[in-house]
Amino acid sequence: MGQVSRNVAEHAGQLGLLVGRSARAFATLQVSPRSVLQQIYIMGVQSIPIVLITAILAGIVTSQQGGYQFQGAVPLYVLGSIVVASVVLELGPVLTAIILVGRVGARITAELGTMKVSEQIDAFHALGRDPVAMLAAPRILAGVIVVPILVAIANVVGVLAGMVAARLTLGLGFESFLYGARLFWHNWDLFYSLTKAVVFGFSIPVISIHMGLRTSGGAAGVGRTTTASVMFMTLTILILDALFPPLLLQ
Amino acid sequence: MIQYHDVWKAFDAPVLQGVSFGVDEGEMFGIFGPSGTGKSVLLKTTIGLIDLDRGDVTVEGDSVYRGGKASLRRVRYRVGYVFQNAALFDSLDIYENVEMGLPEEELRGMKRLDVTRRVWDALELVNLEPAQVLRKLPSELSGGMRKRAGIARAIVGRPRILLWDEPTTGLDPVNTAAVERLIVRLSQELNVTSIIVTHDIQGGLEMCDRVAMLEGGHLRFIGEPDAFRQSSDPVVRAFVDRAAAMAALDEVEV
Ligand SMILES: Nc1ncnc2c1ncn2[C@@H]1O[C@H](COP(=O)(O)OP(=O)(O)OP(=O)(O)O)[C@@H](O)[C@H]1O
Ligand SMILES: [Mg+2]
Repeated sequence: MGQVSRNVAEHAGQLGLLVGRSARAFATLQVSPRSVLQQIYIMGVQSIPIVLITAILAGIVTSQQGGYQFQGAVPLYVLGSIVVASVVLELGPVLTAIILVGRVGARITAELGTMKVSEQIDAFHALGRDPVAMLAAPRILAGVIVVPILVAIANVVGVLAGMVAARLTLGLGFESFLYGARLFWHNWDLFYSLTKAVVFGFSIPVISIHMGLRTSGGAAGVGRTTTASVMFMTLTILILDALFPPLLLQ
Repeated sequence: MIQYHDVWKAFDAPVLQGVSFGVDEGEMFGIFGPSGTGKSVLLKTTIGLIDLDRGDVTVEGDSVYRGGKASLRRVRYRVGYVFQNAALFDSLDIYENVEMGLPEEELRGMKRLDVTRRVWDALELVNLEPAQVLRKLPSELSGGMRKRAGIARAIVGRPRILLWDEPTTGLDPVNTAAVERLIVRLSQELNVTSIIVTHDIQGGLEMCDRVAMLEGGHLRFIGEPDAFRQSSDPVVRAFVDRAAAMAALDEVEV
């Protein structure tokens, strides 16, 4: 038990330090816009296909599931509101984040871990360069910018997919679907969704960079750390997601 | 000019246990020792790449561990470091890698053409054909070429001190000789101070003004090459004999 809390404290301290140093790198203008753009491309643009597929499937499944449960019980147009709420509040942000843990987070940990064990991180220091400014800060900023955009895309596409699926399989017209959606819509929901996205977009790069920079023990170490990092990120996202309703949905 | 003061470092097991010595300006100083005794760790402490448990290192009066950021910055500015496995940046090509060897402040004030010339010259010094390698990624070069590109990156900024972690390991005889000539030339013509970690005992003894042997966390020997050759310390003897046997074996293979 003592060991566990020591570990937690160590991680927390290092994460805090990483965030602080990154903030300072931004404040002192040491972060190159070019590397931020590069990361936006790698993390964002290249993730669009998988995010689209996930969102479409999530929309279809929610719509089918809801349709099945409500058949005959409540007016079918309520399905519009169910799909929108599920996608925007939960599935859009959470599924996108989980996908990005695998696509972006694992990649960052493996990349920085390899740089650590092959002395490239040492080389940055030796050459008087700051690896936090050159490697960490651009990835964190890119995450905070890119994830909300991806989540917004996932929300729109997920809802559209649910709407089309409802029409094709349940015969619910677009107008009725949208009527139901509007009936229970709060603008607050969108804010909630994008706030989650920003938090996840910050957590994924911060944790993956932190884990990457802690790597030791050669190629095997990179493998071990990458697995641990994926677990760490996934759990963090699920826990943060569970904390959102009590904090923001009052 | 470089002083190691009672340097202690343990990872899972103790590695350095109170190492103290000094290296003079313009000196070529060799460090020998069995694999895994902490030669690389010791070299890294010179520019503060490893947190120490105890002790300090000073470079031209600047403390590495107790002088704060500015002091460490000055030290790193003056020192070029040749990493054991080159440690080239994977995602940058050879030009960009070597360019990183120029201090940031200097780079900002330089014309494009001058930067290119400096990079070009550094690559030629290590016997690499610039036109051939400039636009290649490290992964497209052989191990020996990567090693030499790593040396180019370390010398391009014209540091006053060079730390060499096994600069010739993995090089063919022609390039080994070229790198050894380069080390000697930098020292004689530019009065560069060098610390060289090497497994090539013969080469090291010929080049260096003084050598040391690291063993069991301590300096087992420190002194001139002749004294090392004639040492009666059984541990040193065993090490020298083994190295000689290995060298003989190498020659048979060639
Ligand atoms: N970052 C690190 N984390 C944990 N252990 C380390 C680290 N760096 C070095 N060690 C350990 O310290 C010891 C000395 O390592 P070092 O690389 O300095 O040996 P060396 O003398 O350079 O060996 P070689 O001749 O094989 O290069 C080894 O046991 C190594 O496992
Ligand atoms: Mg070594």
